[in-house]
Amino acid sequence: MSRPEATDASEAPDTARAASTGIDPRGPRFTAAITAALLLVVAVLGFGGADLAAWLLLTALAALFAWGAVAGVRRHPFGLLFKRFVRPRLAPPAELEDPRPPTFAQGVGFAVTIAGVLLGAFGVELAVPVAASLAFVAAFLNAVFAYCLGCQLYLLLVRARVIPRT
Amino acid sequence: MDWSTALIAALALPAAAAAVGLVWRARTGRVRPARPAGRADEQPTTAAAGRDLGVDADVFGASATLVQFSTAYCSRCPATARELASIADDYAGVRHVEVDLTHRPDVADRFRVLQTPTTLILDAHGATTARIAGVPRPNEVRDRLDHLTGRSRVPS
Repeated sequence: MSRPEATDASEAPDTARAASTGIDPRGPRFTAAITAALLLVVAVLGFGGADLAAWLLLTALAALFAWGAVAGVRRHPFGLLFKRFVRPRLAPPAELEDPRPPTFAQGVGFAVTIAGVLLGAFGVELAVPVAASLAFVAAFLNAVFAYCLGCQLYLLLVRARVIPRT
Repeated sequence: MDWSTALIAALALPAAAAAVGLVWRARTGRVRPARPAGRADEQPTTAAAGRDLGVDADVFGASATLVQFSTAYCSRCPATARELASIADDYAGVRHVEVDLTHRPDVADRFRVLQTPTTLILDAHGATTARIAGVPRPNEVRDRLDHLTGRSRVPS
């Protein structure tokens, strides 16, 4: 990874503007990697029959997704972990990203995991590992392949008129 | 605790997710020839393309236009816009146009856009000749533009 060139004077205002609003794109991928690992634990526990442990961990993960979606990815606990301990050890990012796409992905993660939590609470035990598996695949693809859920899903919601025009 | 089922889940889930990811990565961003769209009795014009896209007709290039569909929730779109604009700059008569679909479901429906970024390569008349779903592969875009512009690429 080479450091970004900051010699071009014409890029300076752009960089300054992005710095005030943008985030390091590796932050959400770091968050996704930890989240994916924990979701896999939920799925393994749930499919293995440890229903209560799986349900409790999925509830905690749903709460984290809710926090990320409402407070924004910049205040997500794993994001703060990245900022505090990982980012100082890395070269500066080649470019900064808009925080809205990963925040949207947190909202999708919340919708999927809370469905599993609620169905699990009403006795549908299998819903817990199934919801965790779905969320795991999305988080894994994000962490490993830089897959962007907002790129795929947001437009479908716009077209389905779920997200109204404003 | 059912250890055999747990072990299968622990191995199968990452394997399945990795397989999905590899297939996705192999397919995304390829330039695909476009099916003839629009009414057959109507000659494509940049004026009609501009109307359909909700942009001014004077944004189109004389030889070809890269039309990029984006939304505000697409993390790959800003980098794609920079890449496509820089490719367009290498050709005389090629322009890059970004269309934000965040508040335009009508345009998304008309062009059957399923993901962002999606890029259309229009010819001089505004007819769609190719379509790219996902982050475009620069070399494939250049090949297509070489063809459309008769290789008028400005040597850099």
